[in-house]
This record gives sequence, C-alpha cells and structure tokens, in this order.
Amino acid sequence: MSDIDVLWGDVLKIFPVLGGLNTVPAEEVDEKVYENVRRHLSILGSVETFAAVVDLEIQSVIRNVLVPKFWKHFQPGVVASEQSASSGINDQALSIEALPDKNRLFTQFIDAINELYEGFQSLAHTKPRLVQLLGSEDKVPRSVKMLQVDGIKTCLRDSLLAQLPPTFSVVVGAFYWVHFKLFTKSSHLALATVDSDVFDELLCIGCNFDVELCCCQKLTEMVNQTNMKLFEMNLIDRLTGSALTALIKLKIKEHINDTCMGIFDRSHLKQLETWLSDVIMSWLTNIFTEWKSKDSIHDEEVPASVQSFKVKLTYFMYETFAQSVISQFFSIIIDYPDSIPAIDDLKICMEKIDMRVYLTESLRSSLEARILHPGVNTMDILTGYVAAIKAIRHLDNTGVILEMVTAPIKDYLRKRNDTVRRVVTGLTEEGPTDLSEELAKGETVKDGKESGLDEFSNWENWEPDPFGIDANVMQYNSSRVMRSADIISMVVDIYGSKELFMTEYRNLMADRLLAQLDFNSEKEIRNLELLKIRFGESLLHSCEVMLKDVTDSKRINAHIHGDSNRTENQLFDISSLIVSAQFWPSFNKESLQLPEELENEFKKYTKAYEAYKGNRTLNWRTVTGRVNISIEIGDRTLDMVVSPTLAVIIYHFQNKTEWSIEDLSTITKVPASALRRRLSFWQNHGLITESTPGIFTLLEKESEKSQFEEMSLTEADEEDLESAMASASDQREEELQVFWSYIVGMLTNLDSMPIDRIHQMLKLFASHSGGVEFTQDELKHFLQRKVREHKLIFSGGVYQLAK
Amino acid sequence: MKVTIKSWTGVATWRWIANDENCGICRMSFESTCPECALPGDDCPLVWGVCSHCFHMHCIVKWLNLQPLNKQCPMCRQSWKFNIH
Repeated sequence: MSDIDVLWGDVLKIFPVLGGLNTVPAEEVDEKVYENVRRHLSILGSVETFAAVVDLEIQSVIRNVLVPKFWKHFQPGVVASEQSASSGINDQALSIEALPDKNRLFTQFIDAINELYEGFQSLAHTKPRLVQLLGSEDKVPRSVKMLQVDGIKTCLRDSLLAQLPPTFSVVVGAFYWVHFKLFTKSSHLALATVDSDVFDELLCIGCNFDVELCCCQKLTEMVNQTNMKLFEMNLIDRLTGSALTALIKLKIKEHINDTCMGIFDRSHLKQLETWLSDVIMSWLTNIFTEWKSKDSIHDEEVPASVQSFKVKLTYFMYETFAQSVISQFFSIIIDYPDSIPAIDDLKICMEKIDMRVYLTESLRSSLEARILHPGVNTMDILTGYVAAIKAIRHLDNTGVILEMVTAPIKDYLRKRNDTVRRVVTGLTEEGPTDLSEELAKGETVKDGKESGLDEFSNWENWEPDPFGIDANVMQYNSSRVMRSADIISMVVDIYGSKELFMTEYRNLMADRLLAQLDFNSEKEIRNLELLKIRFGESLLHSCEVMLKDVTDSKRINAHIHGDSNRTENQLFDISSLIVSAQFWPSFNKESLQLPEELENEFKKYTKAYEAYKGNRTLNWRTVTGRVNISIEIGDRTLDMVVSPTLAVIIYHFQNKTEWSIEDLSTITKVPASALRRRLSFWQNHGLITESTPGIFTLLEKESEKSQFEEMSLTEADEEDLESAMASASDQREEELQVFWSYIVGMLTNLDSMPIDRIHQMLKLFASHSGGVEFTQDELKHFLQRKVREHKLIFSGGVYQLAK
Repeated sequence: MKVTIKSWTGVATWRWIANDENCGICRMSFESTCPECALPGDDCPLVWGVCSHCFHMHCIVKWLNLQPLNKQCPMCRQSWKFNIH
C-alpha cells in the first residue's frame, strides 16, 4: 500500500495537475522519480492508460477550473454595461466610448489574462514531462490530445470560446481603447485622432494622469506583456479579434467624421489611406509584434493576421467613407462644381464596392425630403435638378443612376404648373440654374438615329449596363440616347414635349415684348438664335416672325415720323408695335374706346401706314401700350407713364369733373368692375375721389395729396405687368373652336352621339387640322359650354343639336 | 386740370384690305404666309386680279404657271389679269 502512496506522491510531483490546478510553478523533478514511476507503470502495463488519464485530467482542469475562473473576472456584475450584452458587436464597440471606467476594465483584463497565463504555463509543463516519462515522443499514443502540437492551446481556446460571456468584448474593447490612446500618444499621432480630453492640458493624453505622474510607459509595458501572453496562448486572434475589429471600425468612423464631414472641395481618400496605414495598421502591428521586437527575429515580416486585418479594414474604410459621402450627397450636389473632389472620391469607392443601390435609395430620399415639397420654389427645384444632373453625370457616365434618382424630381416638377415658365425664364435670363449658360454652349439636341450608328462603330468602347438596377426602369427607358442627353434636353424632357416648351416660350416672349415696347429686340434675337440651334427652326418660326415684327415696326415708325406732312397739327407722337396676329398668341378680349380727338390721331397714323404699305391697314389694340402723360393740376405737374386705359380715364375728367361709373363705362367700353380697379390707381394718386358711391369726382385742389406724390412709376408699371395675352385656357378653347363645324356636321348626320364617340371621331379629323391634340375632358368642357350657349342639348348621356 | 399726352406707344395688328380672309389656293389666312414662305407681309404679298379675287402672290403665280393655255382665275374662271392699283 505504502508503495502506491509513494508512487502517487511521485506522480503528483511530476503532474501536479492530477491533484487539481496549481499555479505554483512545478518544481524540478529528479530523474529518479521518473525512473520510479516509469518502472511501476510498465509493470502494470498501463502506460497508455496513464497518459490518457493525464490527458483527460488536464482537459477537465481547463474546462472546469481554469476557464471558469478566467470568466469570473467578467461576470455581468463586474462589467459595468450589461445592457449591451445582447446587442451586436458594433453596438458594443459604440458603448466602449460611453464606458465610465475604462481604466478599471483595463486592469481587470490584464489581471485576468495574467492569471490565465499562469495556469496555462503550469499546464504547459506537463507535456515535456509526459514525454520524458514515456521515454520518447514516438511512444505517445495518438489518442492523447495534449501531446499533439498546440494541443493544450486548442483545448484552452475551445473551452474559452464555449463559455464566452457576451459582455466580454466590451472589456476587450476597453482594453484596446486604452491601448490605442497610449499608442497614438506615443507615436505623436494623437493630433490626428483628437480625443475629447485633449483640451485638458494638465492631463496626459495617454493615461489620463497628471503629466508629471504619466504612466504611459508602464501601461504600454503592461499591454505588451499581455499581448505576448495572449499570443503565446494562441488566443489573440480568436478572443480579441472581433472586439478589436469593432473598435477599429469605430475609430475609422470617428476619424472620417472628424476629418471629412462637410468638406467637399478636396480629396480625402489619399489622406485616409495614409492614416489607415500610419496609425491603425502600425498600431495593429504593434499589438501583434511589439513584444517580439526584442527578439527581432523577423521584424519586417508582418504577420498574416495583420495582413488580413488590413484588407478587411481598407474595405471597411472605403465603405464608411462612401457612406459618409453619400449621406451628404445632397450638399455635394448643391455645391457642385466645387464639390468635384468629393465626387471623384466616391467614384473611386464605387469602383471597389458596389454602393449603387444604397446611393440611389439615399439620394432619392434626401432629394424628396429637401426639395420635393410645397415649400420650395419651382426655381429652386430646377436649380437642384440641374445641379443633380451635373453632379451625377460626373459620378456615373452611363446615366443609369441619374435616371433613377431624378425620376421623382421629374414627376414632381410635372405637377407644378409654373415649371415650363420657370424653365423658359431660366433659359433666357441669367439665373441660378445656369440654363442660359448651357444654352449658350449651343449643342444640338441629339437625334436617336445618329448615336445608334455610333454604337456600332464604337463597339470597342461598349460598356454593359451596370447591374443592380430595377429592370422596370431599364425597360421603361431603354435607349441610351435618353440617358446621355444634355442638360437642356433633360430639363425640357420633364414635360416630354418640346412643343409645349416652345409654346410657353412664345407666350412669355410676347408678354415681354408687349411689356417693354421699346423696340429693342437684340437680346431676344440672340436667345432665339440659340434656341433655334437646339430645337430646330420650325418650332420657333412664330417667334422669329414676332421679332421681325418688332424690327419692322421700328422701321415703320421711323418712316412715319420722318414724314414731314404728318408732323404738323399733330397732338402727340404715336409709335406702334405692329404685329402679325397669326403668329402671336391671341390677345385677351379687353377693349377700350378712345375719345374722338385721340382716335383721330390714330386714324392719321393708320393713314400714314396705309400710304406706306399699300393695301394694308391697321387694327388698333387700344388696351395695350404705354402712354407718356403730363398732368397739370393746381400748381403742380405730374409726369408719368401709364397704360392707355388709365390715360383715357384721366383724359375724360378733363372736360367733366364728375363721372358716374356707368357713364364712364359706356364711354370707354371698359366693364365697370375693371374700371373701378383702374380708378383706384388715380384715387391713390389723389387726383380722383369717390364722392358718393358710384360717382367719381376730380380733386382740383391740392389738399393732403402730397403724401401720394411718392407714388412712383413703379405702380404704373405693375399695372402693365398684367399679361395682354389671352389666358392659356382661352387659347385652348379657341383651338377647339376649329372642331365646332365638324361636331355640327357629325350631329346633323348622326342625330345624337355620346362624348367618347365624338372624341374618337374628332381624333380622326384632328390629324388633318394641324394636329391639335385634346383630351376628352377638354372636349367635355367645350361641349358643355356649347350646351350653356344653347347650341347643344345634353340628355341621357348623348349630345344633340339644339333645334 | 389739363392732361397733355406727350407720346403714345400702342399696339396694332396689320391686315390686308381684301374681301376675303383666306387665300383660295392655299387656304391659309392672308395675314399668314403661303406654304413656301416663312415671313408674312412684305415677303409674301397679296395680288389682286381684275376679277377682284385676291391670292398670295406666290400661290397665284404658281397656279398660273401650271395653266398651259389660258390663264384663268381659280375662283371665277375669268381670264386672269393682275389688277395694279
């Protein structure tokens, strides 16, 4: 029995682990003891069994003693932020920043690792002893795991990971967070990653102690020790990898936010790459190799793990950067072309990572939030649209992204009724959209056919459509031509028809010419020439005639003024804009009857015209124009430029100082309501007052009117701003009037018809009548008006001619 | 009170003094142009026949050139003579 006790004692000496975990380093064991044990074992013939027992015992010690003890350091109660336990790694990384006592966790981690390391070392002793006991390595049974290469390490790692508590990565994160701080401080790169406590200069950036008491050196030493231990146990990758990655990702994000946010006028990628390799990568290398450098066997060789980190992190950095750029893409668009460097950066990122879908989604939503709501001016939306076209063009030549991103803008602009007007204004005036500049570049709108040829001759440069796009969008607009159209076409394309734009352009031009009446059309001619290059002559033919009317009128006026016969006994100078009615938008139906003596002057002018241009005469449109009058009243004189209606009103007060509104309305043929509005102009000037309701009296005496004297010409001009042209809907009805005879013909032959049939029949005819297009709704309005005029009868869903 | 009109800038539309509105040949308005012209008025004038019918000059000239023998007014079939005022 005592034999066995002695034997057990010897065995325990060799393998203290059999008696439980003992962190005290095993003492040297005499060769004699080995001899003794080996002999006994061979007698028993159970060397292999013994080895297996030792193996099992080590495993169980690792699993049941060493590992639980290690994890005990990180019980939820010990780790401050349990709430993050269930969340993902990224969240944990974020919570690292918020941890109040990182330094405590830091030391805690170091303690735990130290303890683990001691245990590990004591176990590691077992292997050579077992080998010694068994004589040589060859005799070791295959089944004994511990004796295989890294057997103990593998077992330790497996057990550790099997019992990994969720909060652990927070601790690791805190550990490396402190380390990172130490590192950036010691490598004098702290400036690049300014931490919040840098402003407190009394504290050391690295360790948060007073500068005098700075213990960075010591702490760094500790960290290096710990790293070495972890590395020796083969744990550094497995145990800390994910927390480390999360921490670095956080640092990258912070860095990008700090350095790149809101700065678009220079490129950041180079600088970021340098930062990544200078700071992050050298820090990682430091973690993995710093402790080694003393041995300096292969200092230059970067471990594979660091390499794989680098690939991963570079990718992550590009992604984060791209995301940050994309999230600010709206500002980039607005800043274009100053923001070209940022777009170039994003372009490089997009080559490496496919962010297309993310980009389109995020851009669409930010555009919708920023410009596509009722609070934004149409002009601003257009400006945004043009800038977006330019910026996205720069980013993506194929135009696919553009197509997808701008689709909602187009849809939205289509719903605004002043879009066409704004575009036309933008085209002709200096404005924020630069549309006029674009127009001045003077490229023609590309025709689909031409570039179709191009595609074949240029096949070597063919590029497939980028993937990851909605197939519907592609089908909807499969032609590449559309996508490569220039900005003007893109803008005009909002409405899908050039004709509509040109009509609006004509209307606006008519308004402008009639408002100015200064016979100065040089700028208009220049614009028109530019537009002609782009949209072709035929669409702008009317405009050309209109401008020719202006120059012709100028000549005619000069001729008539130069006629010496006429200038005598003439009351006042008349100049006239003589228009070719067929080519101008139709005028509204306002009228004005001139007093006889004034009308005579116009008759004289007409006579002169008739003499000058044989067989032609003039129809005066008296409402439109501007009159330069001077009013002498009391002891003051008012010189002003007013509209003809205003002039005629005040002219009538010359001979009769009191007018009832009805009388004035009869004599001027201006409707009473409109007349009242005009009279208020003179009331504001203190010349006329409404003495009794409906009766207007001239104020001869100058009482308190002087206050109105400041009433400048601007107000008169405002009056003039009212368009002389018929409103769009009036013009439309006139167009439909063309069909009235058809409708009458139809209903005479077929007696009664429902509206959709009328519409269908008219559509057949429409192709003959200059291609006027109209919807059934418009037709309905038109027919209903005819019903009101008692020309049609509508009953039972069908229209009939009134008998 | 005395109102003096110093100058008046007005707007007028011109038209031909003719007994019809549209050219009987091209069916376009007289104030518009014949199909071949771009600019109305001086560049595309009207002419009158002694039969009192009038047309765009370009239209009637073209028509007359198409008549091999006796040149007739397309409206009244009287022989066409230009009425020079």
